[in-house]
Order: sequence, then C-alpha cells, then structure tokens
Amino acid sequence: MSARTVLAVSDLTAAYGNATALHGVSLEVREGETVALIGANGAGKSTTLRTISGLLAARSGRIAWEGKDITNWPADRVVAAGLSHCPEERHVWPEMTVEENLRLGGYLCGSRREVDRRAALAFGRFPRLQERAGQLAGTLSGGEQQMLAIARALMSEPRLLMLDEPSLGLSPKMAEDVFAVVRDINRHGVTVLLVEQNVHNALSVASRAYVLETGRVTAERNAGDLRDDPDLLRTYLGG
Amino acid sequence: MTGERSSLLFVLVLAAVFPFAVQNPYILHLAVIAGIYVVLATSLNLIVGYVGEFSLGHTAFFGIGAYAAALLSTAAGLPIWLTVPLAGLLAGLFGIVIGAITLRLQGPYFVIVTLAFAEVLRIVATNWIGLTNGPMGIAGVPQPASVAAAGIVGGKQIYYFMAAGMVAVSLYLAWRLVRSNSGRAAVAVRENRFVAQSIGVDPFLTAMHVFTLSAVLAGFAGGFYAHYVSFVGPEVFRFSFMASMIIMVLMGGKGTLLGPVLGAVIVVGLEEYLRQAQELRLTLFGLIVMAVVLFAPNGLMGLLARRPAWLARRAAPALVSNQGEPA
Repeated sequence: MSARTVLAVSDLTAAYGNATALHGVSLEVREGETVALIGANGAGKSTTLRTISGLLAARSGRIAWEGKDITNWPADRVVAAGLSHCPEERHVWPEMTVEENLRLGGYLCGSRREVDRRAALAFGRFPRLQERAGQLAGTLSGGEQQMLAIARALMSEPRLLMLDEPSLGLSPKMAEDVFAVVRDINRHGVTVLLVEQNVHNALSVASRAYVLETGRVTAERNAGDLRDDPDLLRTYLGG
Repeated sequence: MTGERSSLLFVLVLAAVFPFAVQNPYILHLAVIAGIYVVLATSLNLIVGYVGEFSLGHTAFFGIGAYAAALLSTAAGLPIWLTVPLAGLLAGLFGIVIGAITLRLQGPYFVIVTLAFAEVLRIVATNWIGLTNGPMGIAGVPQPASVAAAGIVGGKQIYYFMAAGMVAVSLYLAWRLVRSNSGRAAVAVRENRFVAQSIGVDPFLTAMHVFTLSAVLAGFAGGFYAHYVSFVGPEVFRFSFMASMIIMVLMGGKGTLLGPVLGAVIVVGLEEYLRQAQELRLTLFGLIVMAVVLFAPNGLMGLLARRPAWLARRAAPALVSNQGEPA
C-alpha cells in the first residue's frame, strides 16, 4: 500500500437532468493498481467513470488526478492529462476500418510517426486486429470489437485506463480473453479502473474493489477477501 | 476509398471534354447551373453528412457570397477572379459567427436557428436599401470582358470552365477536409459523440472547422452565381434554393463526396425536364424526397455501394448511444 494515490475522487455527485445518479462517491486509485467498481445495475458505476472523464458534469465534489483538480475539465483535456475512458457496449465506428478506428484513438497526438508507432504496438498486442486491419469495424465479432475499443483507448497512451463493462455481451471464453488483456495492460504499468457487472470476472483481475449501491460507495475491500468470502459478497450485492 | 477517388477523377475528365462535344448554349447553361449546384450541394453535405446536423439556413452563405461579389464588382470594380474568392472568404467569416452560435445546439434547435439566420438576412437584404438596393436588387453585375467578347457559345464555354474550376477547387477542399483529422473527427462525433469525446475530440471545435469550410464553399457558389446571372436580389436567400440543395444531398447520398455531385446533376436535369409540369414539379420532388428517405436513406451512393443492407444494420445497434441513461 505504499504506492502513491493517482486518482482521488471525493464526495462526487452527478445527475442526469433531475435524476441524481451519484450521491457523494469517494474513492482512491493508487499507481499500478487495478480497481474494480462493482454493484447492481443503476448503482452509478458507469456514471462515476463518465463524470471522471468529463462526459458528464459533476454537480459537486472533487476529482483529483495526480494532485491536480480536474473536476469538470472538458473531455479532451482529461484525455490529454493521461486518463482514457473506454465506454461501455464496445462502441466502435462500424463504417470505418479497424485501422481507422485505431488511429483515431491517437487523435490528440500531433505526430503522425508517433501514431504509427502506437498503432504498430497495438497491432503487436492484438494480432487479431492486425489480421483485420482493413476490414470494417462493424464486421468484427463482439469480442474483437471490444479488443478494438480497448486498443483504441490505449492509443492515447494513458496512465489510467477506465474500462466500462468490457465483458458485457461476450461469451465466457471471450470475456476471459478480454480480462487476460486487461491483466497484461496492467502489468505494463497502466493503472486500471474497471466497472463490471460480472463480479467474479472483476475480482479475478482487480486488487481492490468498491461496492456501489444507488449512487453511494457502501464498501471498499481487497478483491481477495471478497472472492474468498461469498457470504460477504452476498451481503453487499444482495445476490 | 480509392474507388471514390478514381470516380471523382473520371467525372473531372468527362467534365473537361463536355463543352467541346456540346456546342448548344442552352445545354451549356444547364451545365453551368449544375456546376453552381454541385458546389452548393457539396457544401451543404459537409454539414448534413459530416457534422450530422441538418441546416435549413444554408442560403445565408450563398446569399452573402452573391451580395458580396455583386457589391465588390459594381461598387469597387473588382474583377471576377477576386470577387468570387472574396465572396467565399466573407461567407466563411459569417460561417464562423453563425457556427459559433448555432453549433452549440443540436437536432431541431439547430435546424430552426439556422433557418432563422437565413430569414433575418433576407429581411436585412430587403430593407437595407442603402447597401443592397432593397427588393430592386443589384442589377448589372459585370461579366468578365472575355465572356462579352466571345459570343454566345464561346461565352458559355468560358463560364463553363470557370464553373468547372470552382467545382474542382471546392471538391478538392471538401476531399482534403474529409480526409483530414477534422473530417475523421467529425464522422466520429456524428457516429457517436461520447466515444469521440472519450478519445479527446472536441465536438464543437470539429464542427466549427467543417461548418466554416462549408460556408466558404457556399460563398464561392453565390459569388459566381451573381456574375453569371448578373443580378442579385433578396430572393437568393429564398427557401427554394434550400429545397433544391436538400433534395440533391439526400438523393445523391449524404456523407459521401460523390453523392451530392450526382444529386446536383440529376436534379438540375430533372428540374428542366419537368418544366412542362409546372405545378406538379414541386409535388413530384416532394414525392422523390419521401421515396429516398423511405427506401434509400443513403441515396444513390448507398444503392451503388453494394454492401448488403443487413451488414450495415448488424453494426447499427452498436451505434445506438446510451446517453443519459444512468448505469
């Protein structure tokens, strides 16, 4: 627990119109960790990520990234600061090729050569995408689209990767592959903040987990404790 | 994508030979009008097809270009090769101002406010008699000397090549924009605003780039139109130009470079052909638009691109963004 805290969210509230979705969420992510946000549908997991990445305005509270207050920064500044958000439902641009999708991920990077280098790295990490580089992204399988979405999010070379439901709608085998990739990314020094509905998948990669319930954090535990104690897990998730 | 590029080149070559094959001044006149509409449709397509918003006020930029060229040539005596680019530039400046206001809006709000801008400009043009000569308009916008000297067919040929030059420049600019980072970012925003933002695209700034170029192109078309018709009145802001542009873009296929070109040529031809059916003409066009929207939402280009529909549809669910839905 000696690693420094890179992301500190305190008392964050956010709302969609009049419907408050976050009632004061606080959490911390330390350098090199994989942290999972778990909880039922509508608990505010995705909303938390969206508010951090600037897609949704915070009503109150504070988001600090490496000591800087980034609350309500526009999304492009957040990306430039080293946070990358891979939105849920593996959104790719179906009418663009795999390579175009990927290269757009490096949108903020001014140098063409640098984008080339990062794309080559991504293709190295995801050989399946290399094989399909010229194919329209809409023709990929669900798992491949998810890989592409993750690869695209990595193109900005973030220090913190926020993944929203990466296993949603994937076969167990595919989900396993995706989480192997997440583990690998994390091993390469990228801190990961993960939202997952599939608790077992989440706990298999995360070192710590926050349990969210109706817009509040109700518990923070080491992933191992939750994994080994089904009763404890049931208490929190009502499953 | 190279297919699109080579077909564009093919069209350009065909266009170069055309005036020598056809010596008929009436056909050449139609070709010049088609050229003006190709630029207009290309310009509107940048907004409809790439920004993904529907502008009903695009005549604002066409009209500004027309008035700018008319005033610059009658009052300041500038030649056509200066007035048309300046008309584009001025329209571009207006584009920055109008875009900065309207692009903060989306959907129906954008439609209404752009329409309002065109209406306001029409009213200004009608009432600011000191500048625009009001409803009387500005008559006698000078023809280039070479046109006056070249006789009827020769004059039309010269205009044809000027129009072709303008079309080439406009298509080149549009092509560069679409292939640029801004163009790709615009498509990214159109397809999925949140994902585009998540990779660092600023949707407003991107839309501003595209909108401004679109205004410049419409300004070119307006400036050239002023010289060609040699008269500019408040009716340049009228809705009928807008209706033609919309039909061209929708029929040809929005979001492709070649679509609006095809649409413009076909609609100009159809409009002439249907001239006998005066009253029915607009009704027929209405029906065509309805048919296109219902049966070929991507226009002719969508029909030409033989990608089976089910394939495009399979990808579609990934596009339904889940904005505003708490998770």
